[in-house]
Amino acid sequence: MSRIPITGIGVIAPGAIGVEAFRAQLAAGQTAIAGIDRFDTTGLSAHKAALVTDFRPKEFIAPMKMRRMNVLSRLGVAAAKLAIDDCGGTLDHATGVAVGTAFGPVQTSVEYMQEYVAKGAALAPPQLFAESVANAPGSHIAIEWGLRGFNITITQRESSVLAAAMFASAQLLKQNVRAALIGGVEEANEMLFSVLDRIGALAHANGTADEAARPFDRRRNGLVLGEAGAMLVAGAGARKPYGYLSGFGMARDTTASISDWGTDHEAVATAMRAAIEDAELSLADVDAIYASANGSVRGDALEQRAIESLFVQVPPVVATKGIFGEYAAGGGLQLAAALIALEEQTLHASPGFEEGELPVTRETRGAQLRHVLVNTLSAGGGVVCAIVSREAA
Amino acid sequence: MRKPDLSTRIAVTGAGIICSIGRNKAEVWSSIAESRAGIAKMTAFPGETFPTELAAEALAELAGELPIGKREAKRLSRTDLLAVIAAKEALEQANGAPTDRAIVSTGTSTGGLLEGEQYYFGRLTRGRRREPASPVLQQPTSAPSDAVARVFNLGGGVLSNATACASAGAAIGMAADLLRSGHADVALAGGSDALCRLTYSGFNVLQAVDPEPCSPFGATRKGITLGEGAGYLVLERWDDAVARGATILAELCGFGASCDAHHPTAPIEDGRGAEAAMRGALGEAGLETVDYVNAHGTGTLLNDSAETKAIISAVGTGVPVSSSKSFFGHTLGASGAIEAVVTVLALQHQVAPPTLRLGTAADDCTLDYIPHTPRPMAMANVLSNTFGFGGSNVSLAFRRVL
Repeated sequence: MSRIPITGIGVIAPGAIGVEAFRAQLAAGQTAIAGIDRFDTTGLSAHKAALVTDFRPKEFIAPMKMRRMNVLSRLGVAAAKLAIDDCGGTLDHATGVAVGTAFGPVQTSVEYMQEYVAKGAALAPPQLFAESVANAPGSHIAIEWGLRGFNITITQRESSVLAAAMFASAQLLKQNVRAALIGGVEEANEMLFSVLDRIGALAHANGTADEAARPFDRRRNGLVLGEAGAMLVAGAGARKPYGYLSGFGMARDTTASISDWGTDHEAVATAMRAAIEDAELSLADVDAIYASANGSVRGDALEQRAIESLFVQVPPVVATKGIFGEYAAGGGLQLAAALIALEEQTLHASPGFEEGELPVTRETRGAQLRHVLVNTLSAGGGVVCAIVSREAA
Repeated sequence: MRKPDLSTRIAVTGAGIICSIGRNKAEVWSSIAESRAGIAKMTAFPGETFPTELAAEALAELAGELPIGKREAKRLSRTDLLAVIAAKEALEQANGAPTDRAIVSTGTSTGGLLEGEQYYFGRLTRGRRREPASPVLQQPTSAPSDAVARVFNLGGGVLSNATACASAGAAIGMAADLLRSGHADVALAGGSDALCRLTYSGFNVLQAVDPEPCSPFGATRKGITLGEGAGYLVLERWDDAVARGATILAELCGFGASCDAHHPTAPIEDGRGAEAAMRGALGEAGLETVDYVNAHGTGTLLNDSAETKAIISAVGTGVPVSSSKSFFGHTLGASGAIEAVVTVLALQHQVAPPTLRLGTAADDCTLDYIPHTPRPMAMANVLSNTFGFGGSNVSLAFRRVL
């Protein structure tokens, strides 16, 4: 059995810069979802998001370098710096980088097209084009610290970071690298927000409920868009590990359309079971589930049925996306929260949940946690699950 | 957690391809055998002006190649459709593979950005409340994997890799690891990218596009020719493939990945990152050298020089090298898959594809680049290179099946 230690966490999150602030935010069970003043939501159904508002990139990145980076790259590099500082060690050149992002550089592409329309195809800014590739954040991270191991970017929507972690774990186990930076970046922007709103994916006020993320709650009616950068140091570092990546499982729900969740809960259960088996555990060893639930009607119902069908005794379920929204750091905040839970022996609250069938945590409380199951269900049918464990073996 | 078992051999049991020189393997190989390139004046984006005007477009009527009806096809992006066509050919060849449990691992640089651009233009004229949002649902780079999995009802899982031009190579390598660790039983691994305005304009503003058809490794090379297309391989564990009596096309025997950690768009001049990726693939394959390298060979001044140095450092000066991009241009995120399919075909035919339009090799390109015409030669082990923006490098090693 092999497990991958996570010794550093770096977070640039809505309402929390750095792991200690993130830890406090989780403990308080405080949502970072608020009204949007970054762009105009007039005429849309939704008006709230979980936005990073107090991030000052110049505190992390030299001005000359910062000029060449879009928001995603700044989030990635800053989160990586925090993670490396947190791990109490240094990373040598034999370090890989695996970044996940659900939608990548949408805003940069929009800005490029604005210039394209205004100035013509020959005069659009090359710098914007260079940052229009999804792997720009990973590239900047590698350049900043001279990391010459693998450098890949996974874009599997809600499952992006867990899929990136699965790739990085394989390379660490093969000993192709000595360490890896694993994480994700996501930026909320007008284009993405308005499209998600237009297709009815976003939570919105109706006659009976305010606009809010309500994972697993009966009154839920959509997700709330989030953004963040989150990076983890894997396989190296002097700090006592937060926890260990100990298993992965994947599957696909063949009833899903390419942009929505399907109805085959058995496929989701298959991925959960596969992760548990990969960690050489049994169902009874799972002490908590950090769920994928984001407040969507279909996605949460699918995950709920899968959990109920797999576990005879359902362990406590934590739904973190009521705190920082969906897509935050490509799923990286959810994974970071699960690792912090293991270290603190604490189950976090699930803001937004009031009434539902699953044993979802309503407040932060102490708990004995050996192994936590982390679920990610992608619109489109992909499912990636992971087990994170407290001990090395 | 299960570790990828490097003693587990990976069989290639299916391959599919579509690009500017053919709609399938037979047409592509016929074009290669006849040294016939697929580069011409671009037909996409009529009425819009670009500094250069050539492209390697997949001009075939796609509808006739699709296993789906018009209504379903309308919901997919051009990148998705190219992916579905190549995947169909690969799956048909791997007839009998347990595809209900297959994973799809796709590399793409732009996904449905072409459709995203159309949505953007529509919003400019009609506003965000009136322009239908459904076409932009095809835009995410996860869409090609999701589309292929949905069309062929594949239930093993979906993965999307957006590591610029190294995307598809990484997607194939990742799939091999998942087979070796037992996380997957069958993998449909490849890549797809369609031409779009952003990339066509973007490479032009970087002054990385040759106004003439690209001439990789040549003394007069000025850059790339942009192309489009898709390629897929069906991968299975060797013993599983043998047990079901599958025809094995080649063995995928090594995967190496590295980063230059040097510059967001330019490769490091000494090629050390590319060399590390090649050494990684060679190491997994248990090889010290190979018989042929299917190069990344873009036609840019920096790439071809750096890659030449990398090849010399990794496998020496005596190994023949060629760039298939001289036939079908640079297909960006799909290039690693399209060129992997060409590499498998080369192994099967025991014929190395040439580098077209190589008049005089550049002073800094000192290898045997197989100019002009295909070369029949004995090849047991070969490498296929693919490198991307951000200094990401991937190399795949393939072995002939006797």
